[in-house]
Amino acid sequence: MNAIEVSHLTKHFGRLVALNDITFSVKEGETFGFLGPNGAGKTTTIRILTGITVPTGGDAQLFGRDIVKDTIAARRTMGIVHETSNIYTDLTAWQNLMFTAQLYDVQKALREKRGRELLELFGLWERKDDKTNGYSKGMKRRLTIAMGLINDPRLIFLDEPTSGLDVQSNLIIRDVIRDLNAKGVTVFLTTHNIEEANLTCDRVAIINRGMIAAIDSPEKLKGTIQSVQSVEVALDPVPAHAEEGLRGIATVSEVRKLGDKFRLITEDPPTVIDGVMAYAKAQKARVISVNTYGPSLEDVFIRLTGLDVRTKGVRTVD
Amino acid sequence: MTDQDWLRQLRVEIIAAWAIAKKDMLIYYLKPNIIVSGMLFPLFMFLAFAVGRPGEPSVLIPGLIAITILFSASSIEPVSIPIERRMKTFDRLISAPVSLHAVVLGESMSGFLYSIGIASVPFLAGLIIFGTPILQIAPLVIGVLLTSFCFATMGTLFASYPTESPGDIMSMLNVVRLPLIFISGIFIPIDQIPGIAQYATYFSPLTYGNDLIHAAYSGTTSFSPAVDIMMLLVFILIFQFAANRLYKKFNE
Repeated sequence: MNAIEVSHLTKHFGRLVALNDITFSVKEGETFGFLGPNGAGKTTTIRILTGITVPTGGDAQLFGRDIVKDTIAARRTMGIVHETSNIYTDLTAWQNLMFTAQLYDVQKALREKRGRELLELFGLWERKDDKTNGYSKGMKRRLTIAMGLINDPRLIFLDEPTSGLDVQSNLIIRDVIRDLNAKGVTVFLTTHNIEEANLTCDRVAIINRGMIAAIDSPEKLKGTIQSVQSVEVALDPVPAHAEEGLRGIATVSEVRKLGDKFRLITEDPPTVIDGVMAYAKAQKARVISVNTYGPSLEDVFIRLTGLDVRTKGVRTVD
Repeated sequence: MTDQDWLRQLRVEIIAAWAIAKKDMLIYYLKPNIIVSGMLFPLFMFLAFAVGRPGEPSVLIPGLIAITILFSASSIEPVSIPIERRMKTFDRLISAPVSLHAVVLGESMSGFLYSIGIASVPFLAGLIIFGTPILQIAPLVIGVLLTSFCFATMGTLFASYPTESPGDIMSMLNVVRLPLIFISGIFIPIDQIPGIAQYATYFSPLTYGNDLIHAAYSGTTSFSPAVDIMMLLVFILIFQFAANRLYKKFNE
């Protein structure tokens, strides 16, 4: 049985079509990434799948339970981590966890046991009796995820779990996602961080303008756009007008400056490497390093959504 | 759903509603805007209209209890729910595996309990300071309980308006609450209310709550206690049903 089965889902807000006939499924135990630019329909999809919003058409089932007709039973199977760290800042971490456990009908002995385990797992046990208004952003996020796991869900929705967090929180959360996956919990993840989706997800769906643009494993998606390979090169000294010079090399379609390096986009890396060597020699510069890269998931995302975020200096999406 | 499933879900809903009420007690009872609108506002309203007017404590105390209940019971949710919308904690409630009825009930229970506590102040003041005799205890208890729950549910109903600002809801609520004081027989007996306004008294839940509480002190009622109780129950059902519908509608 699939954990999530979405069929021809549509959602209209007045004349605005937020979701336009989307269909996908998520296998039990899978980590599934859901990517898309702002306004693509990610939040609407999550709100429908968690039973907060009712779809205009189509249906969605969670472990075989219809989210509209059998909302409460479907919700019992899931944990939800909303995009905002929606904890009660006037309550302690322990009170927050116990409150959530009561909403999910977790029995007292079990909720106290799980509460302790989760707070220890997320490094918050020592601060359990502190009001959370004194917590850092990372601590609040970790507590939010702990609250999402208090009912031991079979499926967890993680909406931007690591956005804007410190390194420690990021590492803890990523480890937890891996552990959940290893325990067979289905993870539905939306993230700004495309590399995170690349590293974490078994499959990824890219949604754009309310429609699924692609859905497959990250590697297979990358394989669909082999034209976006690249050569990264560092030169010493960096010649004047290097970007312009490198752009003149045969088969280079684009040059991006990345710190002290240049990324040359091409569909023919060997030709570009030859060209770089010749250019360096002509400029009396040494080639310090050369690396070749296949297309990234971010490249796939940009290609499928029609965004050119780099030209605006933006490298993340909602 | 079998009878067992139904009973289990009912138990879950009651536990969740109680958890929501407890959470509100811990967080909101001592918020400054709730103290002002739930405690100080009714006190000053009462003083403004009662001081200097002839009247025995046995006439004034039931009126003060009724006004206190009106303002305190309906003050928690119009503050707590918009704040929870702003903090996104409200999403936590409406995505939990319980019905909207449980959420509405839990929110109303916090206003109800707050109101009971606040209403005990004028009650005790009447009893201890003024020695006001209570002729019938049953109408007082039933009147306070039902009126408190009725106005707590009304507060929850108003708080369904999808705003993140408590001020928006308080403004709307006061448009209803303030006229209720004058058409419900608290300061002016119902039979002395002029013209068409007298008919409006029948549409005010405060009329029936005040009538019951007043009966405890005077031994007489404008309506029968049975009518008062029935009308308060009808208002509670209407508010609860409407609140449930509106929360559902606004979340879509």
